Amino acid sequence: MGKVIKYERDNIDTDVILPGTYLKLHDYDEIAKHAMEGIDPNFHARVKKGDFIVAGKNFGCGSSREHAPIALSHCGIKAVLALSFARIFYRNAVDGAFLLPIEIDETAYKKISENDELDINTEKNEIKNLTKNEIYSMKPFSDIISKIIAAGGLFKYKPD
Amino acid sequence: MPQTLFEKVWNSHKVTEIDGRTLIYIDRHLVHEVTSPQAFDGLRLNKRKVRRPDLTFATMDHNVPTNNRSLPIIDQISAIQIKTLEANCKEFGIELFDLHSPYQGIVHVIGPELGITLPGTTIVCGDSHTSTHGAFGSFALGIGTSDVEHVLATQCLVMDKPKTFEIRVDGKRKHRHAITAKDIILSIIKKIGTAGGTGTVIEYRGEAISDLSMDERMTICNMSIEAGARAGLIAPDDKTFDYLKGRKYIPKNYDDLVDSWKTELVTDNGAKFDKTFAINAGDIIPQVSWGTNPAMTSDVTDAVPYPDEYAKGNKSQEDAAKKALEYMDLKPGTKITDIKIDRVFIGSCTNARLQDLIEAADLIHGRKASPNVRVMVVPGSQQVKKQAEEMGLDKIFQDANFEWRESGCSMCLGMNPDILSRGERCASTSNRNFEGRQGSGGRTHLVSPVMAAAAAIAGHFVDVREWL
Repeated sequence: MGKVIKYERDNIDTDVILPGTYLKLHDYDEIAKHAMEGIDPNFHARVKKGDFIVAGKNFGCGSSREHAPIALSHCGIKAVLALSFARIFYRNAVDGAFLLPIEIDETAYKKISENDELDINTEKNEIKNLTKNEIYSMKPFSDIISKIIAAGGLFKYKPD
Repeated sequence: MPQTLFEKVWNSHKVTEIDGRTLIYIDRHLVHEVTSPQAFDGLRLNKRKVRRPDLTFATMDHNVPTNNRSLPIIDQISAIQIKTLEANCKEFGIELFDLHSPYQGIVHVIGPELGITLPGTTIVCGDSHTSTHGAFGSFALGIGTSDVEHVLATQCLVMDKPKTFEIRVDGKRKHRHAITAKDIILSIIKKIGTAGGTGTVIEYRGEAISDLSMDERMTICNMSIEAGARAGLIAPDDKTFDYLKGRKYIPKNYDDLVDSWKTELVTDNGAKFDKTFAINAGDIIPQVSWGTNPAMTSDVTDAVPYPDEYAKGNKSQEDAAKKALEYMDLKPGTKITDIKIDRVFIGSCTNARLQDLIEAADLIHGRKASPNVRVMVVPGSQQVKKQAEEMGLDKIFQDANFEWRESGCSMCLGMNPDILSRGERCASTSNRNFEGRQGSGGRTHLVSPVMAAAAAIAGHFVDVREWL
């Protein structure tokens, strides 16, 4: 369970998720202090462990910096729920086991509001909105993505 | 069955299938200081070696200062990142082009120029603009740090097979010097959008693509990622083979390889692409971005759009355009050529190769930068810098009060000393106009090198066709 931080915009790029100047940092918790600084300087102060980001299309476009999902994950973000993801961000999030990139549809995107409390069940592909008492569907992960997530990242995953 | 060029490269690099995904062999791995330290940490932690140090090459480009190289690096955190790469390359036996190497430069500029990039190969790097190398008919893609570690350890990458996307650029450009590869790729992204290429590998084809030089083709492939594509490529031809001939790292049997590439590295007649888009080069004029993603771009003859007209009924597009104009401090209806600028950046993996610098220098020869504009010219590599200096381009730039600097990523990404101050407006030959990309609060307009150079002289954007 966690609360929603919602950005009603498409194309949230990795430069706003973690501005370039912080790519010099090596320590994950230091990196996390600057998450979303590009569009939301208060993000680090208000985010809590287990929270969710909800956003529009093409989340995580731009640079291949893995620092972007690392920053969000080390702030406590458990999953990003977006209409769609840019490829490298999605892959980094899964391979490094940093957070769950969950694709949602327009209905869920519209209905979920800032501060709503959500509970996500990836086995049932269900998103429960506890605040509004609603249930939305999520796009199921592909077989191999599920396996990598279950293993805890690419390096822990072993093919059958 | 007829195959596309990409399918041939993909099939020839398949190692095996795993759970429906494909294990692909990687021919070349390029490494830089920013996305590699955690990957090397991971290797050490798990007591792994680099599987093929001979296929792995490193340089430092992202965080390096571009002023005098004999001075120490003031930013201690950057200095540590640079030293870390040096130590990692030494420990794992990887060739490094360090800050004092004559071959140092932006990783995507030096790969081709050293002949590390070859047709028909697979190339990865922990940088999204790795798509640049596709200009040589290679499958080249950006990866994150976990995958960098995976490739260091295994020389392979697990992937889903991308879809194929044909982008045809037919016809001829109306003006060879004023209308550049940058204008072609910005026009394409403007039309297909920042996610138009998602899940695909683009093959750029058509007369206007064949007409381009290798430097120009790299500009096109470089920005494939800005359309969301995994990679972009162009079938190699005699220009490709001539460019690479004699370069430092090409294989000894290069001429034999060329013979086989000529027959193999083409899209067969009748091969089907999953998706197709076409544009005519004759319709393209100089482009200037006005917003905060590369698709928010206009013809230089246009005005800054009204958000509702731009969005054509799409509410989220309209909101995005409003936010972008607010960030960019632009009023709808303002003529693009009336936008005044504070800074100019000629550089980056998109536009810092020799031809870019020659064209910019030709345009400004005998003119001076507007007194209100600070201009930086940052060659893409030490080799580009040396060649430019042999041609006297440095003098032309300096006579015009353009700063002539050392090679690196510089003002493209706001992580080294070359940044915009809050509120500054920049005509930039780089690839991303995202909020804060060139420094917190900085405003970026993406343009070609000649458009940037002309803006530097005039102090505002100009239609460079009128100058050439």
